[in-house]
Amino acid sequence: MRTKSLCLLFGALILLLAAGPVSAKDLKVGFIYVTPIGDAGYSYMHDQGRQAVEAMVGVDTSYVEAVQEGPDAERVLRNMARKGFDLIFATSYGYMDSVIKVAKQFPEIIFMHFSGFKRAENVGTYFGRIYQARYLTGIAAGKMTTSNVLGYVAAYPIPEVIRGINAFTLGARSVNPEVQVRVVWTKSWYDPATEKEAAKSLIDVGADVIAQHADSPAPQEAAQESGVYSIGYNSDMSSFAPDSHLTAAIWKYQNLYRDIVKQVKNDTWKSTDIWAGLDENVVGIAPFGPMVDTETAELVTAKKEAIAAGDLQVFSGPIRDQDGELRVEKGEAMSDEELLGMTWFVENVVGTTQ
Amino acid sequence: MLQLRKRPTPLGWSAPLVFVTAVVLSLAVSALLLRLQGQPAWEGLAVFFQSGFGSTWALEDTLNKAVPLFLCSLGVAVAFKLQIWNIGAEGQFALGAVGATWAALYFSFLPWFFLLPLMLLSATIAGGIWGLIPALLKLYMRANEIITTLMLNYIGILILEFLVYGSWKDRASFGFPMTPVFESGAVIARIGRTNLHYGLLLCLAIGLAMALVLAYTRFGYELKASGENPRAGRYAHIPYKKLVILVLVISGALAGWAGFVETSATLNRLQPSVMAGYGYTAIVVAWLARLNPLGIALFSFLLAGMLVGVEGMQLELQIPAAFGKIMEGLILLTVLSGQFFRNYRFARR
Amino acid sequence: MSSTIIIPLLAATVQSGTPVLYATLGEIFTEKSGVLNLGVEGIMIVGALSGFWVSQASGNPWLGFLAGGGCASLFSLLHAAVCLVFQGHQVVSGLALTILGTGLASFLGTPLIGQKAPGFSRIFIPLLQDIPLLGPILFRQDPLVYISYILPIAIWLFLYYTRWGLALRASGENPRAVDVAGISVQFYRALGIMIGGFLVGLGGSYLSLAYTHIWTNGITAGRGWIAVALVIFAFWKPGRAVLGAYLFGGVMAFQLRLQAMGTTIPSSLLLMLPYLLTIIVIALASKRSRGGEAPAWLGVNVEPEE
Repeated sequence: MRTKSLCLLFGALILLLAAGPVSAKDLKVGFIYVTPIGDAGYSYMHDQGRQAVEAMVGVDTSYVEAVQEGPDAERVLRNMARKGFDLIFATSYGYMDSVIKVAKQFPEIIFMHFSGFKRAENVGTYFGRIYQARYLTGIAAGKMTTSNVLGYVAAYPIPEVIRGINAFTLGARSVNPEVQVRVVWTKSWYDPATEKEAAKSLIDVGADVIAQHADSPAPQEAAQESGVYSIGYNSDMSSFAPDSHLTAAIWKYQNLYRDIVKQVKNDTWKSTDIWAGLDENVVGIAPFGPMVDTETAELVTAKKEAIAAGDLQVFSGPIRDQDGELRVEKGEAMSDEELLGMTWFVENVVGTTQ
Repeated sequence: MLQLRKRPTPLGWSAPLVFVTAVVLSLAVSALLLRLQGQPAWEGLAVFFQSGFGSTWALEDTLNKAVPLFLCSLGVAVAFKLQIWNIGAEGQFALGAVGATWAALYFSFLPWFFLLPLMLLSATIAGGIWGLIPALLKLYMRANEIITTLMLNYIGILILEFLVYGSWKDRASFGFPMTPVFESGAVIARIGRTNLHYGLLLCLAIGLAMALVLAYTRFGYELKASGENPRAGRYAHIPYKKLVILVLVISGALAGWAGFVETSATLNRLQPSVMAGYGYTAIVVAWLARLNPLGIALFSFLLAGMLVGVEGMQLELQIPAAFGKIMEGLILLTVLSGQFFRNYRFARR
Repeated sequence: MSSTIIIPLLAATVQSGTPVLYATLGEIFTEKSGVLNLGVEGIMIVGALSGFWVSQASGNPWLGFLAGGGCASLFSLLHAAVCLVFQGHQVVSGLALTILGTGLASFLGTPLIGQKAPGFSRIFIPLLQDIPLLGPILFRQDPLVYISYILPIAIWLFLYYTRWGLALRASGENPRAVDVAGISVQFYRALGIMIGGFLVGLGGSYLSLAYTHIWTNGITAGRGWIAVALVIFAFWKPGRAVLGAYLFGGVMAFQLRLQAMGTTIPSSLLLMLPYLLTIIVIALASKRSRGGEAPAWLGVNVEPEE
C-alpha cells in the first residue's frame, strides 16, 4: 500500500515537472539549429529571427542547438512535438527526412523546414533568395575591381553556396565581362583561421575583392590587412574591415519568421513553399562603404528595385556553364526547382564544385 | 592527520557507492554553475534526469543512442586490452558506414535477409581494413598507432565526404550531399511498435560473445597476458604480431558495425552528419568501464542518457548545448578520480 | 609558379604552423615529464577564449596573450589533480578535459561573439626583413611568431641543460630513480602539466589574437589534436616539432593556394594531403630512426607512497 502511494506521488511529481508553467493561450514555437548559436553565423542569424518572434505578443519560443542532422534530429523533433509545441522550425536542409517522419506522427502540429523541398499537409518549406543580394554585391565587386579577379571563400559545395557564387558572378559579369571569380573551399562551417588563410591565398593570386560564404568575419580581416576590398555575408561586417567593406549580402530573418508566425496565429497558414527575397525584405544589402562611388551605388540601387519589382531576374538566359555549354536559353529563366538543385558553375568562375 | 593507505583488497560491494558519490559531486558543481548563470539549478537537474531516463520514450531514445557507443567502445576496449592505443574508432566508424552504404546502393535489389548481412559484411571488411592499416604500420614500420589512427580518422571522414559529395550523391536531393534513401531491404527494422531497432539485439549478441571469448578462450587469455606484460607474453610463445593484427581488425570491424547500424537504422541513407563523435566518446566509455563488456554496456547507456537528457534541459530551460559538455566532462573527471578510492583509503596517522 | 606565389606561401606556412607549434611544444613538455595529456584541444580553446576576453577587457593584447596561457595552465591543473593525486587514467582524463574545455569555452564565450578585441599585427624587423628570400618569409610576421622562433631553443636548453629539466625528464624516463634520489616525481610532473598547459594556451590565444582577431565557437578546429599527433611525429624533440608544425601548416596553405590557382582536383582529396603525408612521414621516419622512443614511463601513473 505504502509503495503504491509512493509510486503515485513520484508519478505526480514527474507529471508536474513535465507540464511546467505555460499559460494555455500562448503559441509555443520551437526551433532546432544545426550548430551552436555561438557560431556567429548561420544559427546565430536564425536565432535573431527567433528573438523577434519571442518579442511578439502571445508567443513563447524555445530552441535546441547543435542538433546533428541525422542521428539526433528525429528525436529532438519528436520530443518537441510531445512537449506541446504548436509550430516547429527546422532550420537546416539535412533535417528534411526527420521532419517528414515526425510530422506524420503529429498531424496537429505545424512544421516549417528551411531550404527543403518535401512538403506535407502539416509541413511547409521556407527559404530566402539571398542570391538576389549576392547578385547586387557582385555588381559592386565587378565595378570596383581593377585586377578583374574576384576571390570567393566558400564553406561546402552545396547548391545554396554554389547558387550564391553563380549569382555573384552573374552580377559582376553584367558590368564587367572580363571578370573572373576564383573559389576556394574551406570544407568547414567554422574555422576562422582557415577562412582567413583562404582569403589570403586568393589575394596572392591577384584577387582584389574578397567575397565569402563562410560565417566568421576572418576573410574581411584578411582583405583589410592586405588593402583589398571585401564583401560581407550574413550581417553588416564593416566593423571588421572599415577600409575594405564595400557592402554585404545580409539576411533579415526577423521579417520572414514574424510573417510565418502571424499566419499560424491567424489560422491562415497553409502548407506552401515560401521563398522570399528582396521583394519582402527578407534579404538585403548592407550600407555601402565610403569607397563605393555614387555611380556604382546608384546602379546597384536601381537593380535592387528592379529585382524587387520583378522586372529583373538574376538567373535569366543566356547562361553558359564553366565549359561554355549553353545551359539557359536567351529569353528564358531558371525555375525555382532548377535553382534549388544547382550544382554547376556559370562561366567566369574558376574552381570546381567538388 | 590523515594519511593515504592502500587497501589490502580493492573495494567490492561499496564501489557503486563511490561512483554515486562522484556523480552527485559533479552534479552539485554543475548545479552551482547553473545558479551562477542565474538559471534554476534544481529544476535543471530534474529536467535532465526526466528527459534522459524518466519515461519510456526517454529510455527508448537513450537505448538507441547507446547502440553505436556500445559497439565502438567494445571495439576500442579489445585493442586497449593489449595496450594498443586505437583512437581511430571515429574513422573506422566512417568506413563502416561507407562499406554498408556501398552494399545498400549497389545491391538494393536484394531482399533484406540477403542485403542486411551483406551490408554487415562489407562494413566489417571496410572497418577492419581501417584497423588493419595501423596494425601493419605498427608492426612493419614501427609507426606509433596513436598518430596513425588519429590521422586515419580525418582521412576516413574525408573519404565519406568525397563519396557523398561526388558519385554517391542523390539526384533527387537537389545536389545536397547525401545518398539516395535506402530501399526498405537495407533498413534495420524497428522492434514491434517501439522506436527501438534490431541493432540493439546485435549489440546484445556481440556483447555476450565478446564477454565469453575474453573470459574463456585462449585468445582472451593471450590478450590478457600479453597486455599486462608483453615481454612475459613473448616468453610464453604468444604470437604478439598476430594478436596486434587480430585485435585492431576486430576493433575496426566493431566500429564499422556501429557505422552500419547508424546509417541503416537511424539515417536510412548516408550523409556527412552521420559522424557524431561516437568514436571519441567510446574511448571514455571503455576506460570508465575498465574494459569490461558488461560495464561498457552500462556506461554506454548512462552516457547516452546524459546526451539525451541535456537536450531536454535546452528545450525546457534554454540552457545552452555546451552545458551538456561541461556536465559530461565534470562527471568523467569525478568518476575517474573516485576510482582511486577502490584501491586507497584515508586513515588516521 | 613564380616567386610572387612561393614567398607568400612560405610566409603563410610559418603563420599557420605557429599555433600548432606552440601547442606541440607544450605537449612535448608535458609528455617529457611522463604525463600524456590528450586534453590539448580543450586547453587550447580555453586559452583562445581567455586570451581574447582579457585582451578586450584590458585593452592590452600582451596581457591577453599571457592570460590565455595562464588560464589554460590553471585549467590543465585539473589533469594534474586527477592523474597525480587521484591516479586517474591519463587517457580518459585528457579526453574529459577536451570535452570540458570545449564546453566551457562555448558556454562562457557566447557574449563575445561578433566583438572585437585588440590583437597583434605584423611588425617588420629592420635589416633582417631585407634578407633575400628569408626576410619576407621569416621576419615580416607578428611578434608572437618571433617568440615561437626562440621557444624551441629555450625549451631544449631548459630540458637538457638545467637541473630542473633533468629532473623533469627523469620523471618521465625513470621515476623510481628520481624517487630514490629524494626528488618528488609528482612535483615535476605537475610542473610539466602546468608549463605545457601554459604553452598550449598561448597557441590558443595566437588564434584569437594574432591569426584572427575574433572569437567564435570551435576556433581551434582540431588543431589541438594535430599537436598531439605532431609530438610523436617530432619524436619528443622541440627542434623536430618546428619541422612538423611547418610541414603541416605548409601543406594546408599549399592546398588552399592550389584551389585559388584553379585546380580541378576535388577539395576532399586535397584536404587529405596533410594527414596522408603525416602518416607516410611517420612511417618512414620510425622505420629508420632508433631515437624516436617515447619517455619510458609515458602515460603510467606513479603510485603515491604508503
